[in-house]
Amino acid sequence: MASRTQKLIALVAVALAVFFLGTPLAQSREGGAGPGRIVSLVPAITEMLFAIGAGPQVVAVSSYDEFPAEVKALPKVGALLDPDTERILALRPDLVVVYGSQSDLQTQLERAHLRTFSYRHGGIATTLGTIRDIGVATGHRKESSDLVSSLQARLDAVRDRVKGRTRPRVVLVFERQAGTLREVYASGGVGFLHEMLDVAGGTNVFADVARESVQPSIETLLARAPDVILEVRASGLIEKTGADDADAWSALSSVPAVKNRRVHLLRGDYLVVPGPRLAMATEAFARALHPETFK
Amino acid sequence: MITVDSAGADGTPLPRRIPRSSIRGRLTATLLGFGMVALATCALAPLVGTTPISLTRALDPAIPFEQNVDAQIFFVARLPRVLAGALVGSALAAAGVVFQAMLRNPLATPFTLGVSAGASLGAMLVIVFGGALTFGSFSTVPAASLAGAAAATAVVYWLATRHGHAISTSVLLLAGVTLNSFLSAIIMFVQYLADFAQVYRAARWIMGDLDIGGYDTLIASLPLVIAAFALFAWLPSSLNLLSVDKDAAAARGVDVPRAQRLAFFSASLATSAAVSLAGPIGFVGIVVPHLVRLLVGVDHRIVLPASALFGAAFLVACDLVARTILSPVEIPVGIVTAMIGGPFFLWLLVRKS
Amino acid sequence: MFLIADRVSYTYNRRTGVEAVKALRDISVGIDRGSFTGVIGPNGCGKTTLLKLLAGVHTPDSGSISLDGRPLPTMSKRYVARRIAVVPQETHPAFEYTVLEMALMGRHPHLGPFQLEGPADLAIAGEALAATGTSHLAERSYMSLSGGEKQRVIIASALTQSPEVLLLDEPTASLDLGYQLEVGLLLRRLNRERSATMVMATHDLNLAASLCDTLVLMRNGRVLASGNTADVLTSAMVRQLYDVEADVRVHELAGHLTVVPLGRLS
Repeated sequence: MASRTQKLIALVAVALAVFFLGTPLAQSREGGAGPGRIVSLVPAITEMLFAIGAGPQVVAVSSYDEFPAEVKALPKVGALLDPDTERILALRPDLVVVYGSQSDLQTQLERAHLRTFSYRHGGIATTLGTIRDIGVATGHRKESSDLVSSLQARLDAVRDRVKGRTRPRVVLVFERQAGTLREVYASGGVGFLHEMLDVAGGTNVFADVARESVQPSIETLLARAPDVILEVRASGLIEKTGADDADAWSALSSVPAVKNRRVHLLRGDYLVVPGPRLAMATEAFARALHPETFK
Repeated sequence: MITVDSAGADGTPLPRRIPRSSIRGRLTATLLGFGMVALATCALAPLVGTTPISLTRALDPAIPFEQNVDAQIFFVARLPRVLAGALVGSALAAAGVVFQAMLRNPLATPFTLGVSAGASLGAMLVIVFGGALTFGSFSTVPAASLAGAAAATAVVYWLATRHGHAISTSVLLLAGVTLNSFLSAIIMFVQYLADFAQVYRAARWIMGDLDIGGYDTLIASLPLVIAAFALFAWLPSSLNLLSVDKDAAAARGVDVPRAQRLAFFSASLATSAAVSLAGPIGFVGIVVPHLVRLLVGVDHRIVLPASALFGAAFLVACDLVARTILSPVEIPVGIVTAMIGGPFFLWLLVRKS
Repeated sequence: MFLIADRVSYTYNRRTGVEAVKALRDISVGIDRGSFTGVIGPNGCGKTTLLKLLAGVHTPDSGSISLDGRPLPTMSKRYVARRIAVVPQETHPAFEYTVLEMALMGRHPHLGPFQLEGPADLAIAGEALAATGTSHLAERSYMSLSGGEKQRVIIASALTQSPEVLLLDEPTASLDLGYQLEVGLLLRRLNRERSATMVMATHDLNLAASLCDTLVLMRNGRVLASGNTADVLTSAMVRQLYDVEADVRVHELAGHLTVVPLGRLS
């Protein structure tokens, strides 16, 4: 049975607590002029952030981030399989970029009243849409819009360049066991690699496979007989081996790509990250498929 | 020397019945029968696949090889694959028979004692850390998995023979199972450190892959498998006696420690060669011996060679199914062997009870 | 003396030191050619170990075993197996061998490394099965037999080794009275008519008394006494061996010593 005075003091204390504790939380929910501190677990979006001028706002990146050079100095907080939730929270971010499949992490962050941006993997259109969305979320709407327009323009330019030319049948290989033709992984008829190939004036021999990746057997490679073999690798692996790994394809001598020496090996992670450099990647594809248009 | 004339206890003669079963005849018939099955399977398998080819065109010497797609499919894609399947299938089946006899346990497999876990770890380390280096056109994954298998074999052997020459089968089993768990934990840890693509590649390797696309790795594995089979040839009679009772075998003239060593190393060698060539393809080493025993009895002098022949046919047939049934998508061959192995064992269990 | 154990000792698990059991302590036993020796004593006295050492299955830690004047290690295991066969107490094969296959395994020491059994080997196996009354079981799975049938098959497979010496570990343990008598008579016949040397470890004192001309009494890995059955099998010895008060006397009708236990000594 508390006295009236005691009840009054308790009420005021609670009100003060709500006011002082609630306000900062409310502030972070509004976002204001754009989040001051961004943590990005997705390398593609990290690139987008730096490309639209939100680079200075990025305070931490994933363990796999390599580009641009500025990220090397930033703290790393894990990635898809092992996000370091404690570290992320300790950085007091205003916005956390996560993978769409990281539902547990999202729940945890939401409970801490942190804003999240969910990344979805997709083709060219999805990528450009993501650039727009991240621009809105970080208060760089104009820069992102400009970036999208310029990327679109570059893609259109590539399309024009190769228009009317014969489209070679291409197998786009992004992984295999070095030195052999075992465990070959190629792009299927879905996804940004497939779409970039299409823009660059090539026909995917596996366009009929409704998946992003396909593991063709040697018999399938012989049967599909591509005109061009385009191998893309993120940097690191091939530099180490030194030897030109393309010799492995010589066993399939009946394949037109091998006969006509149209086996191309492209290196660099700009080729496999669906981000702002995809126009550069598409141009690289076009240069490999239609070199005569770049004279 | 005690000779027994068939007289009863009180000296009256008993009817004499000389048993009719002649092992010589049965062995010949079995080898002929299973041999023909194996040959037929290996001869027909390269002719079947997702892409229709014409054998006459493939064998036509007039067409230059670079222009003969049929020939390339036959000689570069299918034939090495079938030969690898035969080699791996016979090696795993025979190793299964030997391990089951040596461990006196029909449920033992070539992978029970950790050899395949060692091979997997070797392959995984190279995939994740070594960047799968190349030396010329020779990939390091098979070599690394062979090294891993050899290391695991050595560790298990050392653990099992710490106290004396004779291998204690119970210690062997314990050491092997423990090593299996330990290595599996390390493999999981390595996968955890790997990036997504590497994890997928590692997982894919574990499912088994016979699509070797050339004869290099096959020729490299051949001496190991031949050596293993040369050692196997000395075992069957001892395996019969050992699987009845170790001491009784010794009392019948078997050099038990030597026979155990021979069995352990030959079977580990065969398993290592098979796994380093095509990954750890499961169920071959246990389904084939059981099937063969259902057909020909349990005498190892018949079961061992018959299993080797049937194992070859079995794996080639499974691989045929794997590469044609969901065309153009290929199922990893380890999944097909598991799909056949699982129900087979359920059926065996139901039948026994 | 034909088969001699000279001051042998044996310890199980000696190298690990874990659960090491000293089974035999410096014992000496001599078996005459053509004799029928019974080895008797309570559980754990070392009977089975002694048989295994005599057969060359284990090597003694100290002392030596010799056959016909030659130490066992100087002869190949196959050679020894052609002359000495063992009938173990229990056999649990890991696979479903047929009775005939079990019997034929006894021919192993007579065959070369890649040699298969021929008609002569089959004949020997057939006779061994017939002698133990198991011919009709030849194609049956060994594991499906009754305890008594299994024991007779194991005796048959020892007989197919065509040995000069037969070492038996509790050969009548699972047999009913009828088969006990039959096997006993078979063993006696082999011993008398074929000059087979028999060494039998058994709990059954009456069986030992009826068949054996020599007895070796063991307790705790040592030999308490050995000699002619008549001299050695006394109630005093039974008392020493088993802590059991028993009446030992020749049974008129049976014609040999019998042992009737009367009570346990506290």
